[in-house]
Amino acid sequence: MAPKHYRPAGKKKEGNAARYMTRSQALKHLQVNLNLFRRLCIVKGIFPREPKKKVKGNHHTYYHVKDIAFLHHEPLLEKFREIKTYQKKVLKAKAKKNEELARLLLTRQPTYKLDRLIRERYPTFIDALRDLDDCLTMVHLFAVLPASDREKLEVKRVHNCRRLSHEWQAYISRTHALRKVFVSVKGIYYQAELEGQKITWLTPHAIQQVFTNDVDFGVLLTFLEFYESLLSFINFKLYHTMNVKYPPILDSRLEALAADLYALSRYIDASSRGMVVEPKVDASSSSQSKDREESELRLAQLQHQLPSSEPGALMHLVADNNKEVEEDEETRVCKSFFKDLKFFLSREVPRESLLFVLPAFGGMVSWEGEGAPFKEDDESITHHIIDKPSAGHMYLSREYVQPQWIYDCVNARIILPTEKYMVGRIPPPHLSPFVDNEAEGYVPDYAEQIKRLQAAARNEVLPLPGVGKEDLQDPQNLLYAGVMSRAEEAEAAENKKKMAAKEQQYHEELKLELKKGKEVVVEGDSDVVAESEEEAAPDAAKMQLADDDAMSVLTMSRKKRKLYQAMQIHNERKNEKVELIKKRKSKLNAVQD
Amino acid sequence: MGKKAKTSRKGKKAWRANISTEDIEDFFDKSTKDALSGGNLSAASNDDLFHVEKSHDLPVKRKIEKHRERVLRCDSVLKKNPFVQIVSSSKPKSKKSKKTIVVEKERRKQAQKNVADDSEMVDLWGDDVKGEQEGNPRKIFKKPSIIPAVEVDPAGCSYNPTAESHEDMLAEAVAQEMQKVYKNELGPEPVPLTIDGDAINEDERYFLEVDNVSEDEADAENEVSEAGIRAVRTTEKITHGVLNKRNRHKALLKKHSEEKDKKRLSHEITSLPKILKEIRREDKEKDNKRQRRTIAKQDVLKIRPPRLGKHKYEAPPVQVLLTEEMTGSLRKLKACCTLARDRFKSLEKRGILVPSKTIRRN
Repeated sequence: MAPKHYRPAGKKKEGNAARYMTRSQALKHLQVNLNLFRRLCIVKGIFPREPKKKVKGNHHTYYHVKDIAFLHHEPLLEKFREIKTYQKKVLKAKAKKNEELARLLLTRQPTYKLDRLIRERYPTFIDALRDLDDCLTMVHLFAVLPASDREKLEVKRVHNCRRLSHEWQAYISRTHALRKVFVSVKGIYYQAELEGQKITWLTPHAIQQVFTNDVDFGVLLTFLEFYESLLSFINFKLYHTMNVKYPPILDSRLEALAADLYALSRYIDASSRGMVVEPKVDASSSSQSKDREESELRLAQLQHQLPSSEPGALMHLVADNNKEVEEDEETRVCKSFFKDLKFFLSREVPRESLLFVLPAFGGMVSWEGEGAPFKEDDESITHHIIDKPSAGHMYLSREYVQPQWIYDCVNARIILPTEKYMVGRIPPPHLSPFVDNEAEGYVPDYAEQIKRLQAAARNEVLPLPGVGKEDLQDPQNLLYAGVMSRAEEAEAAENKKKMAAKEQQYHEELKLELKKGKEVVVEGDSDVVAESEEEAAPDAAKMQLADDDAMSVLTMSRKKRKLYQAMQIHNERKNEKVELIKKRKSKLNAVQD
Repeated sequence: MGKKAKTSRKGKKAWRANISTEDIEDFFDKSTKDALSGGNLSAASNDDLFHVEKSHDLPVKRKIEKHRERVLRCDSVLKKNPFVQIVSSSKPKSKKSKKTIVVEKERRKQAQKNVADDSEMVDLWGDDVKGEQEGNPRKIFKKPSIIPAVEVDPAGCSYNPTAESHEDMLAEAVAQEMQKVYKNELGPEPVPLTIDGDAINEDERYFLEVDNVSEDEADAENEVSEAGIRAVRTTEKITHGVLNKRNRHKALLKKHSEEKDKKRLSHEITSLPKILKEIRREDKEKDNKRQRRTIAKQDVLKIRPPRLGKHKYEAPPVQVLLTEEMTGSLRKLKACCTLARDRFKSLEKRGILVPSKTIRRN
């Protein structure tokens, strides 16, 4: 009988030499070529590792033996081999000038599916959501790339990416799950919250996405292949939770006008209400004007049934009720954020992004162009988004603002005043919602202004209208997060004093006890202290605080003390940094003045 | 030994030796075999050999069933009493085997799917049955690194940043660029492939060779003279007096060293606590060093992947607008970067791809 684990002569039994193999060894072991190996690794989620001891040298890539064994047992490997042999057949037929056979063979090519692998890598839906960032970013990127023969990027795949990204956006905006938006130089960052998972993705600016030489697009396309199927399964699941049929059937006219997102939202609206939109097959063939009338009519119906605009559709409300119970506080806020506002987008504004963001926060949008829900001359439009130095014809009934206003409003969660975002002005800085100002220590001016406005907005709701205005003008108060009213603050201060006094007393008593232990009894001391305290409570409190600090430092274990010191050093550094920024700012101001 | 007597070849003995009796023996064998097995089979007719059984022509399956149908007497006795339940001796096989269950499940799924819509897709996470995954040893897929897939740019990279944060980011970008420049300037110069200079003509080369030769000769002479001195030394004579003196000196030295050793030992013994303390301190230092190293390693992993291949990972430049490019308008935003490069670098940074330096040619 052969031994259980046969080990060839000269092969290492243990240690890094046995546990890791180089990439070329892995290739030999699996009997595949490099391309296929890369593909398998990407699809299967296996990555190179760094062993402690690189037995073959520093210039090799190492894989764990178990990872390779895992690949070895992959049924897909066999499938890939099958495909390879099939390709050879086709090649042979072509070489023999047997075109007919080649064509026939090409029609019956073996294909493979990745669903099993997705299930394997993401056993639960939450796992898949957790790892969605990269997937979404990649799909959004390839949705705007031009199709290219050289990079083997087909038109079909670009369209598929576009479709998938729109489906995702439609779901997010329908469920009002979007939380943050940040426009950076690279692109637009979005953050949504789904099932408790924060999903961040980056979409490119539509301008100038090109193929560059320093990027291996073959690898990216392999990733994309996996991500496409992953996202489609996720979309399927998400749409089914909304009771919407998954591969959505879109209005071909809207699709042709590149308004997929709008078409999708309409589809979802319609089908979640139980009335399935019949796909219009002969949209182009039938008379155009009649068609438009028809669609407008239906559109009007739909608009009526929209819960945000008209709470008339009782049936729909009943159906929606149980859903709303599940919604958390934030979703409710997001849902009714732009509730009574109607937006119109100018031609030069980034339409895709705003069409996604505005409905996600409950706003109604239209745009310049065919297929739009309402025209520019609609009287009920409240905001006109424009990105030109000057608008031509201006309606008095609406406000003309730059697109940044929307992003800033969304991030601040209040409707900001529009004066600063008027046409032709340079808008205030666009702040990143992903930066935690408190943790950073430095709060930019505009952030502080926004904070004040937020506080004001909250104060309106509070039953103390008289205090609110004072509150705003008092700069000292802003230090306390600008939320507390003055009366409250005074109360808090008094409380603090009392607490400090009590603490002091307690400490004195403790000291007394200690002294008693040493058989030195001092009487009346505490009375004197108490008396003096009444006069200078704040001072004493401060002193006491310092004393307490010193005491607690002394009583700490050495480890803790060191940690404490390290923390202090860190804080000092942070303060220095903040100081530096402030200094720079003052310098800048001086230069500008 | 005497010679064997020659006998005549003619005669009875020779006769017997030459006649073969094989056929007779074969016949006897055969006849005995036939007798034992019950007659010659080749001679028998077909009817004798085979006969068709027509009496109880039941298929095997029915036979078994018939056997099952038979009721044992004990059972029949028990059957008469209605209060006694019969315990069957063998369990009837369950009609639903595993295969059918699976098929049924699939069919149900299919039906469900068909009701829902007419697509090819199935809800992957519809049945959260963990059974399939339990058998899988690699249930948890470890992420290769702790770096998030989509890193959000700092505030200074906003398309319309605040002046302070923008300056901060610009400073960082400039520092990155300057680092590259300094690396080029301060790094070791590459070894030149060619050195410019005049060709050496033949006369000079001759002189050069002469110089070399003279040096060699001088060396050789030195060696010879040293060897001579050594030879002279070895021949010097040593008297007994000198030898004794030397021995005495050696003994003295030994004694001194022994004393010294003793002193040192006693000193060490007395200072044992000190030594222990020192050892402890050293251990602690080593421990601290190790800890520091591990922490530093982890910190490094936060910003770049481990070395996975031939090339090191190089961070992409910070994407920040120049001061003159800041217009505050989304429309006029300068298109300066493609996201594809960013994604590719991110994959490299997370250790999913091996960093490479290959730049493709067009």
